[in-house]
Amino acid sequence: MVKSKLKVPALLLSIAFMSMLLAACGSGNHSNTAAGNDASPPPASTAPAASPAQTKMTDGLGHEVEVPADPQRIIASYLEDYLVSLGVKPVAQWSVANGTQEYLQDSLKDLPTIPYDLPLEAVTSFDPDLLIIGSNSAVEGGKYDQYAKIAPTFVLGDEVNNDWRKALLKIGEVLHKSDEAQKVLDDYEKKAADAKAKLEAAIPGKSVAAVWLVQGKFYVVSDKLSSGAVLYKDLGLKAPEVVKEISASGAGNWNAISLEKLADLDADYLILVNSDKDSGSAALNDALWKSVPAVKNGNVYEYPKSSSWLYYGPVASSQMVDNLLKDIVK
Amino acid sequence: MGAFMSESERRKRRKAWLVAAILSAAIAVVFVVSMNTGVIRLSPIDVLRTLAGGGTERQQLILFDFRLPRIVISLLIGAGLAVSGAVLQALSRNALADPGIIGINSGAGLIVLLFIAYYPAPAATPAYLLPLLAWAGGGAAAALVFLLSYRRHKGLSSNRLILNGVAVNSGFAAVTIVVSLRINPEQYQFVATWMAGSIWGKDWSYVLALLPFIAILLPYVLFKSRTLNVLNLGTPMATGLGAFVSREQVLLLAAAVGLAGSCVAVSGSIGFVGLIAPHLARRLVGQRYQALLPVTALSGALLVMAADTIAKVILQPAEIPTGIIVAAVGAPYFLYLLYRSK
Amino acid sequence: MAATTRKGRDGGQPAGKKADDALHKLHSRPRTAIVLIAAGAAALLFSLALSVSFGAMDIKFRMVWEAVFHYNPDLKEHQVIQELRLPRVLGCMLVGSSFAVAGAVMQGMTRNPLADSGLIGLNSGATFAIALCLAFLPGLPYRYVVLLAFVGAALSAALVFALGSSVRGGLTPTRLVLAGVTLSALLTALSEGIALYFRIGQDLAFWFAGGVANMRWLELKVMTPWIALALAGAMGLSRSITMLSLGEEVARGLGLRSGLVKGLGLAIVVVLAGSAVSAVGAVSFVGLLVPHLARKLVGVDYRWIIPTSAVLGALLVVLADLAARTVHPPFETPIGAMISLIGVPFFIYLANKERREL
Repeated sequence: MVKSKLKVPALLLSIAFMSMLLAACGSGNHSNTAAGNDASPPPASTAPAASPAQTKMTDGLGHEVEVPADPQRIIASYLEDYLVSLGVKPVAQWSVANGTQEYLQDSLKDLPTIPYDLPLEAVTSFDPDLLIIGSNSAVEGGKYDQYAKIAPTFVLGDEVNNDWRKALLKIGEVLHKSDEAQKVLDDYEKKAADAKAKLEAAIPGKSVAAVWLVQGKFYVVSDKLSSGAVLYKDLGLKAPEVVKEISASGAGNWNAISLEKLADLDADYLILVNSDKDSGSAALNDALWKSVPAVKNGNVYEYPKSSSWLYYGPVASSQMVDNLLKDIVK
Repeated sequence: MGAFMSESERRKRRKAWLVAAILSAAIAVVFVVSMNTGVIRLSPIDVLRTLAGGGTERQQLILFDFRLPRIVISLLIGAGLAVSGAVLQALSRNALADPGIIGINSGAGLIVLLFIAYYPAPAATPAYLLPLLAWAGGGAAAALVFLLSYRRHKGLSSNRLILNGVAVNSGFAAVTIVVSLRINPEQYQFVATWMAGSIWGKDWSYVLALLPFIAILLPYVLFKSRTLNVLNLGTPMATGLGAFVSREQVLLLAAAVGLAGSCVAVSGSIGFVGLIAPHLARRLVGQRYQALLPVTALSGALLVMAADTIAKVILQPAEIPTGIIVAAVGAPYFLYLLYRSK
Repeated sequence: MAATTRKGRDGGQPAGKKADDALHKLHSRPRTAIVLIAAGAAALLFSLALSVSFGAMDIKFRMVWEAVFHYNPDLKEHQVIQELRLPRVLGCMLVGSSFAVAGAVMQGMTRNPLADSGLIGLNSGATFAIALCLAFLPGLPYRYVVLLAFVGAALSAALVFALGSSVRGGLTPTRLVLAGVTLSALLTALSEGIALYFRIGQDLAFWFAGGVANMRWLELKVMTPWIALALAGAMGLSRSITMLSLGEEVARGLGLRSGLVKGLGLAIVVVLAGSAVSAVGAVSFVGLLVPHLARKLVGVDYRWIIPTSAVLGALLVVLADLAARTVHPPFETPIGAMISLIGVPFFIYLANKERREL
């Protein structure tokens, strides 16, 4: 009884459902193809872009993107590190209500800011001629099509975005600066190799961990990601057992470490990124923190939150190497 | 006596029409205002010219691709969520019921979170995938709550519906916390924005996707106004009708879930509309669902559209999720209602 | 309590006697309650010992014993036991009792079996205060943030109470809940807005996820006297709460000054749940589930429900914390989530099994 009466609405529902699918597919395709044609830079834009020199590239998510030959007004939010390393200035920089990427401000000081979530109209107001976007989630849900209507939009995709070397080369390619990008990379590798040799001489066989203090809690960097990649891979420093153990089961760049584990941290040297400096860093007066071997022996190097340790990219990595050369090798 | 009744009845009807007309006019005004607000300044004349087919390419882009679809979507989800809330309040005979209570928001939110956290996208995910998943997640949660609360021969127990809703919501919230601590800040930001109700689907394809649900389910619910009147009273008569009641309950619940699920899939969790719009409507036109439902739909649409307009401008150039504005506007009003009530 | 009852107006018989008679007829099982409390306390002691011995650092049981009774500050293991595990476990106990008793008092006073301290805006008030701190006072030391969280919780509860009782017709359970739910929704939305705008959402989540791990001796020292006082107050009020739970009319008929009782009860809830929430974050299921379970086991007399809830709540949180630390080492699962995951199936079972609708 109940079943038979349920059929009609069920049918209606499934029709509605199908039409939702169809509508979404149909218009999705439509706007995809339209994007290429309509996306010529808005009339207000500067140079009458040399159209023959446009190159077609496929981005990290499989979109065909017509990249302008000489983009002048680039927005590459949260990818500014790469642009700075290539000597390119975007028209706007990533920001949240309470800040920007401080370690890049030498190069980006007076640049206007754009909210981190890239609202459509805010992007349009800068008249960009090229958008470069890092992560998949930033364009999730049809947002790509809308950005593509403003300007050619190139998404690196999570895989490239999470590896700064790949991201650097890819962005170099997009900006027609592959040679420069390769040079930045080579310079960094050479610098890192030099530093590695010096560190080996200065502190042979010693282990190092990077610890981040924020809101009274401690995090350690993964042994493979972010600044961990610089420490353990590029500079060949030894990762303490505790760091390895935490990284094996944690997914983040920085993983929470309980105070109990911290007391167990068997590193010879500690790099401390202190975001609690302004609040007096009460956690550092804790008896337990003071009993960590590296702290006891005075082998802690502290950096402010404005330093590059919480970021990754060619400029960030290079600054980290500088920090270590200056403080540990001396 | 009879004449008196019909006179008061007629007066009520006239009032309902008047209220509906005023609400529609308000919607029209806010619509126009919303068309003219945004980071990029367009004068009303530019807007008119663009609407008439003129305007620069950039003006067309802003108006037709960015602003209009968003406004239309906010209207649709406002109406959908509000009516869904009205139906759920009647079904559960609980003035505090809204689509969130049967797990739609938390179910949809959890699915979106899991998708963002664990789906390594090798290529662009199709635009419809996420709303589809959210729809499925919300529907599954509602179905779970429903199955737990349904008893053969006895139908749907409104108390159980709410209790199980609370339980399922807390369970989903717990899993959400555990998962969200493991994702990176960018993913977290996306999910948090989604859960705060950002109306993130902003182009015409979402309008098209939403339209069939609204176009079918809204009239269906309106058609069932009488049944809702009976259910809302929760009289012995309703239970006396036995199987009839339980079947109608099931159908109406499915309609409410379909409405709210599709809206949440497009907008993210916008919580307060389903609660507040029916209350507002009840104050304006009384308990009769024939008048209550259309007025609920209109006030929900007005509320969300106005909130979305505020969300666009209040922290320019940043945008804040519409759901937050809805709550910030709706909650004080609700408290005021509470204060005024006897 | 003599203070909260007044002389009956009718026929010479003192109201106290009449109330005693009424309470006598209640469906209550004191003997079960005594057994439960004793057994619960024993189980609590056992799980305290267990919890102190387990953790990220591998420490032998002998060493644990020595650390507790012959503390040697030079030993790392002793430090971990003394500085981290002991305060944490004791904190869990305290917080568990607080949430459970606060929930019991709420449920009794509002006659709403779904009431818990979150309903009167405590959790959202604390969250909102913390969001404000993280966004606008990023430099504020941890302990002040906790303090402000408590202030936020207390303020929002006061606001809910004021809103609920400023209505014509006075404070009714329904109004209290309505005002609480609405204010919570508002504060939660505003916290979300701040978190998104300042991009501190995950910090906020981490703040609460840390939970009981932040419990140190200092926090305990500050919290314990207040919580002890409030727990004693709840016990003292328990008889009046039982009367209230019979309904406003009945309570008044028995000569109860219901306004006074409600005011005191709310103050107790604010102190208990407010300090617990600001210290470890919202662990809501304890306040919902434990009193409910207690009522099922020992009957409807709050003189027994409250102590039983205190013991069972402490036991639940201590065990949940142990599970949260051991289920996915070396990481800690947020204890609120842990308890929800345990509590939800149980709650669903309860909600659907009961003949009598809740």
